[in-house]
Amino acid sequence: MTKKLTRRDFLKIATGATVASGLAPVARRIALEPFVQPPEEALPGQATWFASTCRQCPAGCGIVVRTINGRAKKLEGNPLHPLNRGKLCARGQSGLQVLYNPDRLKNAVRQSGGRGSRQFEPLYWPQALDLLEEKITTLASPERLAFLGGLMPDHLYQIASRLLESLGASPPVIFDLHSALEGRAAASRLSELFFGEPQLPVYDLARADVVLSFGANLFETWMSPVAQNVAFGDMRSSASGRGLFVQFEPRLSTTAASADEWVPVRPGAEGLVALAIGRIIIEERLGHVGSHRDHAVMYQDVDVREMSAASQVPVETLRRLAVAFANADHAVSIPGGYLAGQRNGLASMLAVQALNLVVAQVGRVGGVFLSDPGPTASLQNKPAVHNFEEVLGLIERMQAGEVDLLFVYGANPVFELPAASGFAEAITRVPYVISFSPFVDETAVRSDLILPDHVYLESWGYQVPSPGADRPVVSSQQPVVRPLYDTRSTADVLLGLAARLEGPSQALPWADEAAYLEETVSELNGSSLGAYNARTPSGFWALWRQYGGWWSEKEIRREPELTDIRSKPLPVSEPRFDGDPQSYPFILYPYPSVALSDGRGANQPWLQETPDPMSTVQWGAWVEVNPETAQALGLNDNDVVRVESQHGVLEAPVVVYPGIRPDVVAIPVGQGHLDYGRFAQAASGSNPLALLAPLTDADTGGLAWGATRVRLAPAGRKQVLARLESLDGEGRESLD
Amino acid sequence: MEKDANRSTETHPRWVMVVDLDRCTGCQACVVACHAENNLQIVEEQESAYGRWAHWIIVQRYWEGEYPNVKARFMPVMCQQCGEAPCEPVCPVFATYHNQEGLNAQIYNRCIGTRFCASACPYKVRVYNWFDPVFPEPLSEQLNPDVTVRTRGIIEKCTFCIQRILRTEIEAKTEGRKPVDGEIQPACVQTCPPGALVFGDLNDPDSQASQLARSHRSFRLLPELGTDPGVIYLKGGETNV
Amino acid sequence: MSELASNRPEEANQGTEYEERLLLAEREDWEINQAVLQPMMQTGPGFWILVAVLGAIVAWGLYAWGYLIYWGMGSAGINRPVYWGLFITTFVFWVGISHAGTMISAVLRLLKVDWRRPITRGAEAMTAFALMMAGLYPLIHLGRVWKFYWMIPYPNNRFMWPNFQSPLMWDMVAIFTYLIGSTLYLYLALIPDMAMARDNTTHWRYKLYRVLALGWRGTEAEWHKLHRALGIFSIVIIPIFLSVHSIVSWDFAVTIQPRWHSTIFAPYFVIGAVYSGLAALASILVVVRRGMRLQEFLRGEHFDALGKLVLVAGMAWTYFWFAGFIVEWYGNEPVVRELIHEEVAGNLAPFFYLQMGANLIPLVLLVFKRIRTTPALLLVTTLLVNVGMYTERALIVAGSLQRNDLPFNWGTYRPTWVEISIVAMTFAGFALLYTLFSRIIPFVPVWEIKEGRLRYTVRRIGRLLVPTAAEIE
Repeated sequence: MTKKLTRRDFLKIATGATVASGLAPVARRIALEPFVQPPEEALPGQATWFASTCRQCPAGCGIVVRTINGRAKKLEGNPLHPLNRGKLCARGQSGLQVLYNPDRLKNAVRQSGGRGSRQFEPLYWPQALDLLEEKITTLASPERLAFLGGLMPDHLYQIASRLLESLGASPPVIFDLHSALEGRAAASRLSELFFGEPQLPVYDLARADVVLSFGANLFETWMSPVAQNVAFGDMRSSASGRGLFVQFEPRLSTTAASADEWVPVRPGAEGLVALAIGRIIIEERLGHVGSHRDHAVMYQDVDVREMSAASQVPVETLRRLAVAFANADHAVSIPGGYLAGQRNGLASMLAVQALNLVVAQVGRVGGVFLSDPGPTASLQNKPAVHNFEEVLGLIERMQAGEVDLLFVYGANPVFELPAASGFAEAITRVPYVISFSPFVDETAVRSDLILPDHVYLESWGYQVPSPGADRPVVSSQQPVVRPLYDTRSTADVLLGLAARLEGPSQALPWADEAAYLEETVSELNGSSLGAYNARTPSGFWALWRQYGGWWSEKEIRREPELTDIRSKPLPVSEPRFDGDPQSYPFILYPYPSVALSDGRGANQPWLQETPDPMSTVQWGAWVEVNPETAQALGLNDNDVVRVESQHGVLEAPVVVYPGIRPDVVAIPVGQGHLDYGRFAQAASGSNPLALLAPLTDADTGGLAWGATRVRLAPAGRKQVLARLESLDGEGRESLD
Repeated sequence: MEKDANRSTETHPRWVMVVDLDRCTGCQACVVACHAENNLQIVEEQESAYGRWAHWIIVQRYWEGEYPNVKARFMPVMCQQCGEAPCEPVCPVFATYHNQEGLNAQIYNRCIGTRFCASACPYKVRVYNWFDPVFPEPLSEQLNPDVTVRTRGIIEKCTFCIQRILRTEIEAKTEGRKPVDGEIQPACVQTCPPGALVFGDLNDPDSQASQLARSHRSFRLLPELGTDPGVIYLKGGETNV
Repeated sequence: MSELASNRPEEANQGTEYEERLLLAEREDWEINQAVLQPMMQTGPGFWILVAVLGAIVAWGLYAWGYLIYWGMGSAGINRPVYWGLFITTFVFWVGISHAGTMISAVLRLLKVDWRRPITRGAEAMTAFALMMAGLYPLIHLGRVWKFYWMIPYPNNRFMWPNFQSPLMWDMVAIFTYLIGSTLYLYLALIPDMAMARDNTTHWRYKLYRVLALGWRGTEAEWHKLHRALGIFSIVIIPIFLSVHSIVSWDFAVTIQPRWHSTIFAPYFVIGAVYSGLAALASILVVVRRGMRLQEFLRGEHFDALGKLVLVAGMAWTYFWFAGFIVEWYGNEPVVRELIHEEVAGNLAPFFYLQMGANLIPLVLLVFKRIRTTPALLLVTTLLVNVGMYTERALIVAGSLQRNDLPFNWGTYRPTWVEISIVAMTFAGFALLYTLFSRIIPFVPVWEIKEGRLRYTVRRIGRLLVPTAAEIE
C-alpha cells in the first residue's frame, strides 16, 4: 500500500490471519499480526502487510511485506523502523526470490548416494529428529560436537549456545564471509580497545560536515548500508551545506563515486594517512577544540613525511584534508572494512578512530557514538562474529579427527573460506555432517544430512541490529506466508532435540521457538522508553509483531567512555603482503558485490541480473585493471586474463577500470558457484577466494583477505561480459 | 468535498519524477524494486550481453578524467514520460499514448511489436520482450497481480508505477479527497535509500517535486530534442553529478 | 526464324539496324505470336530444377518464419538499440525495386518512348512481385504478427482505429494502393495478349486464358477504351510511384534518430529506388532473354537505352547522396559525426566502401556502349548496383541505429540464420514467382510490339529503304 501511515492507523488492532505453524510436538495456532488494519476479513485481491526483518545481510533492516491471498508480492522498508526508515536496498528487495526460489529443498533429506553424489532421499521429520538425536547421544564426548554458524539470527544463537552449553560442547563458531569482508570482528575489537566494549559504533553521517571514510564501502555492503545511504541523503541536503566527503581506498567504489574526493592510497597504508592527518592537526594546532596536548602522545612515533611517502599521498593533500577535518563544525572519520582485510588492520583502524578523538567528536552530533541498548541489552548476541583464526582452529580440529559431528548453519564455508584454509579437506575427516541450509550449496553437498531451515520470510525471530541506530531498537521477525514446504525452523529443531535430552531440556524449557520469543521479548513491555506499550503480555506480543520490533520513542545516543587509549602512542604498522613483488606485482582486492554480497545472492536471478554499479556487468565476474596496466600488458576489455597467486589460479575477462591503482587488481566476490541452484550455476565467473593466502591480522585474528599478491597474464581469448553500457560509447561523453 | 490545499490551476496532475544526482549512490535498489513490482523478465547472461536485458530503470555510470583524477557519476535513467514524446505518434495501433496526467502510457495488449517507438525514442528506454518470459515455479507466485505479465513481441517501459497511481487515486476518491503530495510513490521512489528520487505533481506549485524542479540545479536530459521530459534531474555538487 | 535477328546485338550499324527492323517488319503477325508463345509453353528440365531449388529456399524460409513467430523476435539478431535490421532493410529494398516497373511502363509510355515496348510487361511484373515480397515484411517484423489486422481500419466494437499519424500506416496505404494499382495496370495491358494466347492454345491454358481475356475481341471500340484506360493509369500511377518510396523513407525521416532525421530522404530514396529498380530490371531481362531465347525481341538497343537510363538514375542518386552527406558532414553534430566516422573509418567501413564502390563503379562502366550492349557485362554491372543499393539500405537502417544521443546506449547488430533465411526466402520467392509467371503469361507484350511496328517501320521505295513513322497513339 502506498498510503502514508499515521500513528492512528497503527493503533487499530485487528485480528490477523491465523496459521498453524506445525511445530513439534503439538501443533499450535498462532496469530500473525498484520501491519495495519486490514478489512474485516482479508478479501481476495486486497493486500495485507506483515512486518518482519530482512536477513540478506547482517544489518537487520526492518521490512514490511505485501501479501495477497497468502502470497508474498513485494518487500518494502518498514517506515517506522528507526534503522532503515522505510527504505530497502537491492538485496533486501530481492528476498522474495529466496522464498520462491525453485531450487529450495522441500524436505529433510539424506544424501543417500554418499557425499557429493547429489542424490537425496527425503526423510520424514520424526525420522530426521531421531537420527539427529542418535548422532548426539552416540558421541564419544560432547567436545567432539562442533557448530559452525554464519549469518545467524540472535535468538537462534541464544538457543544454539544454550544447547551446546548444556551438552558440554564448545559454543558455536560464527564466521560469515560478508562480515569478514567488512571487518565486523575487527570493528568489534576496535570498539573494545577504544570504548571498552565490543559494540559496533554508529557514525553520524547525516549531521557531519566533513567525512573521512577510510576503506568503508558505506553505500554498498559495509555494516548497515541502507541506514548509511539514508544518512548520506540527509547529509547532502543538510541546511548547513552538502558537506565534504573524502574516500580513501585503492579502488573507486560507488561510495567513492558519491564522494567529493577519492584518494587512492597505497593498499594497507590508510592508517598511515590517518596518523599523518592527526599529527598535522596536533602539530599545527588546527581546529577549534582548544588544546591538543592530551592527544599528542598518540602521535609520538609519527613522521608526516614518512607517512606520506609510505602511503603515496602528497603532504599537501594530507595537510589540506587535515585543515578541512579539523576546522569543520562536525567531522567524523570512519574506519572501514578494507582496513580490516590487511595484516596491519587493527593498527590502521586505531589510527582512523583516533582522529575522532582528536577533533572531539566522540559521542557528539555528526561524530561517532554508541547505540544505547536500553532494555534490549539482554537480547543481544555476543559475540557478533568470530575471527578467522578461531575458524582455522576449528578446521585444525576437524583435520585432526577431533570432530565427529559437525553442524553447519547459515554458512557455506566450502565456498566462503579461502581454498587455502583447507576446509574442504578437513570436512572429509568429519564422520557426520549436518547442514541446515534451505539450499543445496557447496557445503550441503558435502554433508550427510540436510535439515532445511525455513527461509527468513517464513521464520520467527528477532535481531538486534548491529551497528544500531540512534536509539535502542530490536527488529522482530514473523512468517509472512505459511512455510511453502516441509521445512522446519532450526530453532524448533534444536528445541525439539533439547526436549529429548535431559540436560538440555532443562536449559531450554520452551515448547517451540515462538514460545521462546514471546517470553524473551515480554521483558521489553512496560519500558518507559518504548514507542508503544501494552497492558497484557499477549497484547505486547501482538504489537511487537505489528510494528516489526520494539524501539525507543526518542533518540538516545550514548557517549562512549574512553579507555586509556590516548595515553599511549598509536602503533605505526606497515602493510605486509603474501608473495614477492617481483613475481607477483599486483595486490588483489576481492570485494563483496553489492548484489551478490559474499555469494549468498547468487541464487536469486534478480540479483544476478542487477548490473554492478561500477562496471555495469550482469551475471558474471571480472578482473578490474587500471588502464595503464592494461595497456602495458596488452589487455583490452573482454580479454580473458589469468590471475595467479601463490595459492591458486583463476581466469576472468578484463574490465579496464579507470578508478583503480595501477598496482591493484580487483575481483568481485560471489560468482563461481558449482552448486547452490540453477541461477548461481548458470552465471559465469570464478571465486576469487581460491587465490587467497590464509593470512590473518595478528592483532585481531581476522582474515587478511586484502593481503595477497597476484600476477596477470593474458589467456589468449575473449569472453564478452554482459554489460549494460556500450563499450563503443564508453568514455565518449561527459555529463554537465 | 473538502477544500483542496492543492493550488494547481489544472484539472489533472502532471506526474513528474525528480532525480537528485547529488544523492544517488548507485546502489541499484531502484532496479530490483522495479523488477519486483512490475513483473519484469529475467534475461540471463547470453541475451543480456547482446543488449536484450530488461530493466525499466538503469543507473548509467559515466567516467570522467584519468587516474588518479578520475570521477565516476551516476545517472538513473527511466522512461522520461515526455510531454512531446517522439514515440507516441509513430505507433500504428495507438499502443502508446499520452494520458491526461502527463504519463506516456503503454497498453500491452494493444502492442503488435513493430518496435517503431523503440527506434524513435532518443533515450532508448523502451524494453522489448524478445522471448516469452520464463518464471520457473514457484517464482511466479511473486508476480504482482496489479501488473500484466507481457508475452513475447510486446514493448514495455517504465510507467511511473501507474498501478500505484491509480490505486491511490481510487482510494483517495472513495474518501472524498485527492491524493496528498508524497502519498503516491512508485516502487523505485519508495525504496531509494538516499532519497534521491522524488515523485509528485508538477502542476501543483507546492508539491515537493515542483519545488525541486524550480531549483537552479535542475536540468533535463537531451533538452535540445524538444521532448519535454517529465523527469527532472538535479545537478550534483561540484564534483558529483 | 532468321539467324541474323538473334544472339549477338551488333554495333550501331545503320544498315544492320534497319535490316533488323525491316526483318521484324517483314514477319507475319502469327510468326511473332508463335515466337512469344513457344518459350512460354516449353518447360525443360532446367526450368524444373530452377523451380525446385527456389521452392526449397522458399520452404526453408517459411520454416524460419514459423520459428520466428513461435519463439519470438529474439531468434532474429535485432537488439537494443538496433531494433530494426535486415527485415526492414529488405523491405525498403523491395519497395525500391518495384519502382522501376512503373518507371518503364508508365513514365516511358507517357513520354512515348518506343524502346519500352518489349519490356513493359516484364517490368510491371517485377513491380508487382517486388511489392508482394515487400508486403510480407511488415508482417514478418511484427512481434505479434497474429494481431496484424489491427493495422487495418475496420469498424469494431471497441471503436479503435489505427493511428494514421504513424508512418507505418501511411506505408500500408501506399503499398497497398501501389500493389493494387500496378497489378491492375499489368493486367490491363495484358488483356489483348491473353486473347491472343487464348486463340493459340489448348487444354488448361486455353481455359485459363479464356477467363483472363475477359472476352476480348479486338474491336476498335475495345482498343479505344484500352488506350484510354492505359493513358489514365499511366498518369495516375505516377504520383503513387513517387509517393510510395517517399512514404517509406519517412518511416525513418520523421523520427529524431540521428542520421535518419534528414529532409532529403524522400527524393533520395525515390531516386535510389529508380536506380536500383532499373538495374534489377536490366539484370532480369538479361537472364530472361537468355533463358527464354527472346534475343529477337530484347535487342542491343533496348539494353543500350536501359543502361543509359540506369546511368542517369545513378548519377542522380549520387547527387542526392552527396547532398545529404555534405550537409551531415559539414554540420558536425556529434552523433552524426560519430556515425560518419563509423562508416568512413570504423566498424562499418567495409560496408560503406562496398556501398560506394558498388554504386559508383557501374556509373563509370555504363558510360561505355560496349558494356551497355553486351548482356553479360550489363548483368554483372547491374547486379553490382543492387549489391550496393542493398548495402546502402542496410547501413541506413541498421547502421544508424547503432549510434544515438547517449553513448551509454550504443550497440552492434549481428543478423542470425533466421533473418538470412527469411531474406533469402523473399529473393527466392520473387524469382520463383517470376519464373512461374514467365511460363504462364507471355513475357513480351505482343500487341505493343505490333503497334510499334506499325508506328515505326521501314519501306522500300524502289531500291531505297526509307524509315517512316505513323501517328498512332
